[in-house]
Amino acid sequence: MNVVVVGAGLAGLTAAAELVARGAEVTVLEARERVGGRTRGLEVEPGGWVDAGAAYLGERHTALTALLAELDLKTTPATVAGASRFALRDAGRTRPGRFPPLSAVALGEMFDALEEVTRLVRPDAPWLTEDAARLDGVTVERWAAERLRHPDARLFLPLFLGEMMAADPARVSVLHMAFYLRSGGGIRYLNAFEGGAQEWRIAGGAHQLCERLAAGLGERVRLGEPVLALHQDAGGVTAVTPRGRVRGAHAVVAVPPVLADAIDHRPGPPAPRSTPVTGPGCAVKVHLVYPSPLWRGLGLSGWSVSAEGPLLSTVDDSPAGGRAGVLTGFVTGAEAVRYAALPASGQRELAVAQAARLFPELPPPTAFHLTDWVHEPYSRGCYAALFGPGDWLRLGPGLTAPHGRVHWAGTETSTEFFGLMEGAIRSGHRVAAEITWRETP
Amino acid sequence: MNVDAVSAVFREVLEISEINADSDFFVMGGDSLLATRVLSAVARASGVELEFDDLLDAPTPGALSKKIAGAA
Repeated sequence: MNVVVVGAGLAGLTAAAELVARGAEVTVLEARERVGGRTRGLEVEPGGWVDAGAAYLGERHTALTALLAELDLKTTPATVAGASRFALRDAGRTRPGRFPPLSAVALGEMFDALEEVTRLVRPDAPWLTEDAARLDGVTVERWAAERLRHPDARLFLPLFLGEMMAADPARVSVLHMAFYLRSGGGIRYLNAFEGGAQEWRIAGGAHQLCERLAAGLGERVRLGEPVLALHQDAGGVTAVTPRGRVRGAHAVVAVPPVLADAIDHRPGPPAPRSTPVTGPGCAVKVHLVYPSPLWRGLGLSGWSVSAEGPLLSTVDDSPAGGRAGVLTGFVTGAEAVRYAALPASGQRELAVAQAARLFPELPPPTAFHLTDWVHEPYSRGCYAALFGPGDWLRLGPGLTAPHGRVHWAGTETSTEFFGLMEGAIRSGHRVAAEITWRETP
Repeated sequence: MNVDAVSAVFREVLEISEINADSDFFVMGGDSLLATRVLSAVARASGVELEFDDLLDAPTPGALSKKIAGAA
């Protein structure tokens, strides 16, 4: 049996490796000239890599942890000690720890409200949540305007959602927010570094996961071959690419929902994978490189949070064991869309100027890198697709249901750890099992 | 708010039952995110708006109830 896998990100390559292990023939067709999808490595100094895409994991990410062990990759702690910088109500405040200089009572109200809706959602099938129609019909922005009274809570919610899920509150439904937070382990787990979803990074970069999986698959992985069409007949599936046709008994579509819909499916699937309000995850990642992590010597962690963009938060992402200091800036939500539309020179100027205001003790960075996921044609956003109002009710029931011989994978098909590397890997295992089961006499 | 009422808030936020007047919120598993939920519950019940540093200063139901009484 041959299986055609569309997309060489974590989901597609996990599925491919597992199918090969179970004795199947596999052809992986990847549109880009690289594997990795929404993981991507950036070499900031010889042998020193940072993550331009997905980066973090925690101990609940068991499928990822198992994959790391299998591929002989190690983790490195993401927590860095020291004081934080905040530019929220006033500029340049230094505080110990990560707690922002805002009303704790206001933040408590916000987390109470988030906790309340997060508990309501049915995590395995959010569209079946009691009151799903109401929760799916309203944007987070409208819900927050009614539910949050304190100005500090209203100020902080978009920053929190930007960090957690790269979302603009005006574009996602309350049901999607609640589901996303629940799926990732709850607000507390998702928010935490130590003991949470940001406990570790992967030593040497998360991109090595896909590179090593692809190395194991060898010539089965074909780069630069976007799948334009999937034609099904009684005997199998034909994938059409600009270079030719690949035949399989089954196909796995392991790309984000908007891109899955861009494939010419014949016959067409009974329901779409996305709608006009399914938005891209809104994230631009900026890396500012310094001769060394100079802020550590000043008692600073490199962590900052700002109310004004572009760099809504920064974190110390210096490669472990290397020399360079790297501050990663996160531009998320509505700010990412605005920033991504600027010319490159303006992007650099704004980010460097903001870093200088936040950390006036630092010299200008020696290098600047920017990764725009919003406009990435073969990702269409990062961390993950954002379900807009009405999307869960329309798309949820068909999330994992195969369309004949076409099976769906990708982090957006995993109700566990949706949007994370963990969700992608779990979807790969799920789809490999699905095909194996179908082929078992 | 008396000690018992503050203990009840700790139990609800931490989702554990073994809390007494001397239980340290941060030792019992509290973090800064959960701390804000204690402070919002205190504000709702007593009208007193404390800051994060107040809970760091007075991390037990006994100490926090004194702080609330002092601020009221």
